Amino acid sequence: MRTLIILAAVFAALGLVPFFVVSDVWLNIAIMVLYSALLGQAWNMLGGYGGQFSFGHAAFFGTGAYTVAVLQVQYGINPWIGLFAGGLAAVVVAAIIGYSTFRYGLKGSYFALVTLAFAEVLRILSNSVPITGAGVGLLIPLQVAPSNLQFADKGSYYWLVWAMALCAFAAACWIGNSRFGAQLMAVRDNEDAARALGVRAYSVKLRAIMLSGFFSGLGGVFYAQYFLYLDPHIAYGASVSIESLLVPIIGGIGTLFGPLLGAVVLHAISEVSRDLIGDVPGISLVLYGALLVVMVLFLPRGLAGLLIRRKAAPQNRKKQEAEHA
Amino acid sequence: MTDNKGKRNGGLGRREFLATGAAVLGLGVTGFPAVLRAQPASVKVGLIHPVSGFIAFSGTQCREGAQMAIADINAAGGIKSLGGAKLEAMLGDSQGKPEVGASEVSKMVEGGVHGIVAGYSSAISLATSQEAAKSMTPHIVDVGVSDQIVDRGLKNTFRFAPGYGTIAKFAVDNLAGINQMSDDKAKTAMIIHEESLFGTGTANLLQKKLPEIGIEVLDVIKHANPTRDFTNIVLQIKSKKPDLIIPANYYNEYVLLARTMRQQQVKAKGIYSVLGGAASNYKFVNEFPEAAQGIMDCNHWFNPKSEVALQRKAAAEAKGLVYTYEVFLAYNAVLALADGFERAGSTEHDAVNAALAASTLDMSYMPYGPTRMINGQNVGARPVNTQVLDGKIEVIFPQQFASAKPVFPMNS
Repeated sequence: MRTLIILAAVFAALGLVPFFVVSDVWLNIAIMVLYSALLGQAWNMLGGYGGQFSFGHAAFFGTGAYTVAVLQVQYGINPWIGLFAGGLAAVVVAAIIGYSTFRYGLKGSYFALVTLAFAEVLRILSNSVPITGAGVGLLIPLQVAPSNLQFADKGSYYWLVWAMALCAFAAACWIGNSRFGAQLMAVRDNEDAARALGVRAYSVKLRAIMLSGFFSGLGGVFYAQYFLYLDPHIAYGASVSIESLLVPIIGGIGTLFGPLLGAVVLHAISEVSRDLIGDVPGISLVLYGALLVVMVLFLPRGLAGLLIRRKAAPQNRKKQEAEHA
Repeated sequence: MTDNKGKRNGGLGRREFLATGAAVLGLGVTGFPAVLRAQPASVKVGLIHPVSGFIAFSGTQCREGAQMAIADINAAGGIKSLGGAKLEAMLGDSQGKPEVGASEVSKMVEGGVHGIVAGYSSAISLATSQEAAKSMTPHIVDVGVSDQIVDRGLKNTFRFAPGYGTIAKFAVDNLAGINQMSDDKAKTAMIIHEESLFGTGTANLLQKKLPEIGIEVLDVIKHANPTRDFTNIVLQIKSKKPDLIIPANYYNEYVLLARTMRQQQVKAKGIYSVLGGAASNYKFVNEFPEAAQGIMDCNHWFNPKSEVALQRKAAAEAKGLVYTYEVFLAYNAVLALADGFERAGSTEHDAVNAALAASTLDMSYMPYGPTRMINGQNVGARPVNTQVLDGKIEVIFPQQFASAKPVFPMNS
């Protein structure tokens, strides 16, 4: 209950951002932070809570993005319908990947590689079939109107991604406190032991990947509507998969607020490094990479791990003192 | 005593110093008002290019070309209709990603940019122009060739160079002409293209148009960016024995493809690139003269008979730059934007957009017809055909700009 109250308070505060931030640049950064947090939380549901490390979340992201774009451009279907269709199409892809991997007991690096391969297959497919525009990609016509899920101001885009992120974080909160979540974490910690206790590991993992796919697909829908252009590299390229897993790894894997912390810190590092030495090509990326290495080396449990350690430290001291006495 | 207070070694006393300082300050404010007050505010020009990432070479070339143009315009007195206002560059790196390009635009808009030149690749140009359209900031696309860029009806987006629709038509028409002139005519072709918007779009157009001039397309092979091994692709080319090989790809892939074809001793009547990343590039010709020999290209180029163009080329080379199309197209884009400010006599977005939409900029340093803007596209813009002959890049078509005659088949 306490976590839920904190989550509600954090998102209530985040929801007020457009009222206080008038700068489009800062609002754009805030949008990209929430967008990254959404992708990160989607990955976290499967990788963090479920222990199934995916290297191919672009498969879900790209499917969501292409669904809303194809429905609009090729069939004239309203993007509000496409929004839900995108999420559901990503769920279907997640179910197919989940079925073909978990059914046959793939885990660890094998699972990671197979998800990567699925994303790559989808990239090649989208690069070849006419419905996705093949290599030319799809350009969603610029028709600014809320009914077209296109907004004139960044504030509206902010609330769209805020609502998506809120749903994702609420779902993650539910995972952390539900019977399903307990089963998922039991599978993560020791699958054989979980099975022995009657947990249906296959079914639990399948549901987790479908939930994860849904939110990743929503991230894709948001990207498509925000930037209005997609090509196979953008939709199914490795950079989306990397961003999806980097955010929770930096923030704290398997924690509720880890992806949000990770997204804030990653974007802050990126912006600061670009502003400090932006005119020297590539140097900002070098600094960004170096800082990431330092963070991973010294904070292996992510930023959330640091907070948990600090919180736990006084308790540990008391425990040690009691033991000495 | 008091008079000497504060004086050290015959220097100024405190009072004298204060008096002189006040006088100088007063003179500064009242005596040189023309210098202090009439200096017009600078005109901010945003330059957004992929100067890091997988197309960093081309992005850097664009930035260099654009900065050269800004320096030249400022040296020539700036924007005269704005009282000699100087151009001031705002630099942005899109890192080869459309979303980063778009966020650079919003940063610049907030920083008070008056016009933007971007973004080398078509995908990035689509994103930057669309973001700029939200504030109607004038946006000139320097290199991006996709026709979708100007087909969206954005009132702030302009392109003074040709798009791939024009380029593909020109390439096919001239190929028909070259083929007609030869006794040993080409009848078959294979297209090798990179997989993004530019390569795929160009290949699609060629695939439709080549049969119309009697050339059968045997196969179309798409490759990823980056691709570092072309052996399999070249073996496919070898097995199908096309008369013509038509590459449409970025610099690195083009060089590797050409070198592999040379190593595998592929025999074809011609290598006829369309927007070949390296075929009209002095770096490639100088570093791999044997692989480059005889290659024909349909690409952006300058007017080799224009003194102005040759002077700009010499100036770029004096700076140590390789004079590629990125350099002169970005240079031209800045010139066009500056001309827009000049004609508008203002930096107001609407006025500059109107001036650019009605531009009749003299571009005789390019092999173009008169500048005429339709829906933001300069319909007078044309590519040329070049051929690498004896280590030099020669213009072979159109006739009025030609510096050599075409050699076809290439080994004849």
